[in-house]
Amino acid sequence: MRNAFNAQLDEMHRLLIHMGELCETVIDNTYQALMKEDRESAAEIIEKDGEIDQVERDIEGICLKLLLRQQPVASDLRRVSSALKMITDMERIGDQAADIAEIIKTGNLKAPAEALGMGKMAKATMKMVRDSIDSFVKDDLDLAKQVIDADDEVDGQFEQIRHMLADGLVNKSATQEQVLDLLMIAKYYERIGDHATNIAEWVVYSITGVHKSAELTERKEQE
Amino acid sequence: MGSRAVFEQELQALNESLIRMGETVEHSIETTFQAFQDNNHETLETIIRSDNSVDEMERDIESKCFSLMLRQQPVAKDLRHISMALKVVTDLERIGDHAVDIAELALRLDQRDAQSMIQFLPEMVANVKAMLQGAIRAFVRKDLELARSMEERDDIIDGLFNRVKQEAVKLLKEDAAEPDKVVDLLMIAKYLERIGDHAVNVCEWTEFFDTGLVKNVRIL
Repeated sequence: MRNAFNAQLDEMHRLLIHMGELCETVIDNTYQALMKEDRESAAEIIEKDGEIDQVERDIEGICLKLLLRQQPVASDLRRVSSALKMITDMERIGDQAADIAEIIKTGNLKAPAEALGMGKMAKATMKMVRDSIDSFVKDDLDLAKQVIDADDEVDGQFEQIRHMLADGLVNKSATQEQVLDLLMIAKYYERIGDHATNIAEWVVYSITGVHKSAELTERKEQE
Repeated sequence: MGSRAVFEQELQALNESLIRMGETVEHSIETTFQAFQDNNHETLETIIRSDNSVDEMERDIESKCFSLMLRQQPVAKDLRHISMALKVVTDLERIGDHAVDIAELALRLDQRDAQSMIQFLPEMVANVKAMLQGAIRAFVRKDLELARSMEERDDIIDGLFNRVKQEAVKLLKEDAAEPDKVVDLLMIAKYLERIGDHAVNVCEWTEFFDTGLVKNVRIL
């Protein structure tokens, strides 16, 4: 019984890692498309987003089957439940990358994007996503907490970009339409940061049984 | 009382919690829209403060779900019910978050009738409100047809967002309004569009509960 369970759990982990890698790829693609005007990267995003959606369905199926057939004990249940929640955030990350890709299509954003330091924001969110999945797979509580802390910086970067745009600091290199496009892109990166944070919070729950608030803390007797 | 009967009772309690949360966030959004219109600072601040209780509802429902999965041996239909609950609360909580996001921006705008600065914004607000109402009603009643009809409204809302964005560009070009305000109004429109997206998800989860399918893919 336990062997079948472990095999399915392994499959779940494998797919989670795969989904995480896809998320990292699409964020990197947005960076390449935006900062290097790499058309191939831009095209790949939409395709990968479809793949991310499919993997989410696959993982959901495995998680629900695990819950249905294997009647997991408390710590396994936490792990599988966390996985179920995490994939929602990962799927949204894919969507946000696709939304960024749509905006980049309108073109000529490289110069103002550089002026705004958007590359830094893209890199920061990529790291958050990578670390959050890593922390789940490696059961690394400290790494998960690092991701949660990193969110403030990304929020700060968004505010900075917003101010720069509203103050007209890129008016020389961008039209008003581009200004608003860049604002939207920055917003999407900020949202990606939020989703990576959510993933990390589920990792903390998976490891400790505590999620953000006391309500979800497991009582000892349930173990 | 047999354990199945207890289980049924707990599923019922779960359902009631979900309905309560759905109705709470719907009310929260409607209150925010009105307070935005009226520039009612007191109400806007109340909305911002009450976000904690929505988060608590999410945690409470998740806790119920985990407890049900742990203690009982759910069959397929139960599991569909429980996993639906687990997923839908995320979307409901996000809708609650966006009420706060909009309230914070409305406070910053500090202007009665700020919506009218952008021609299509009031229409967008009205559409999102109607769509959310429909989505929650469909969810509460497990009304598949209503859920599907609400999903179709999402394109209208996305279209309105694009119109709002075009107007924002025009306002900036013509220097017809403070850039800060234009940016804030666009952000509000962005949050409105996000609420629409989450309402669609709620409809999809309503469908899943009935059919076991999400976007025509069999999950359970």
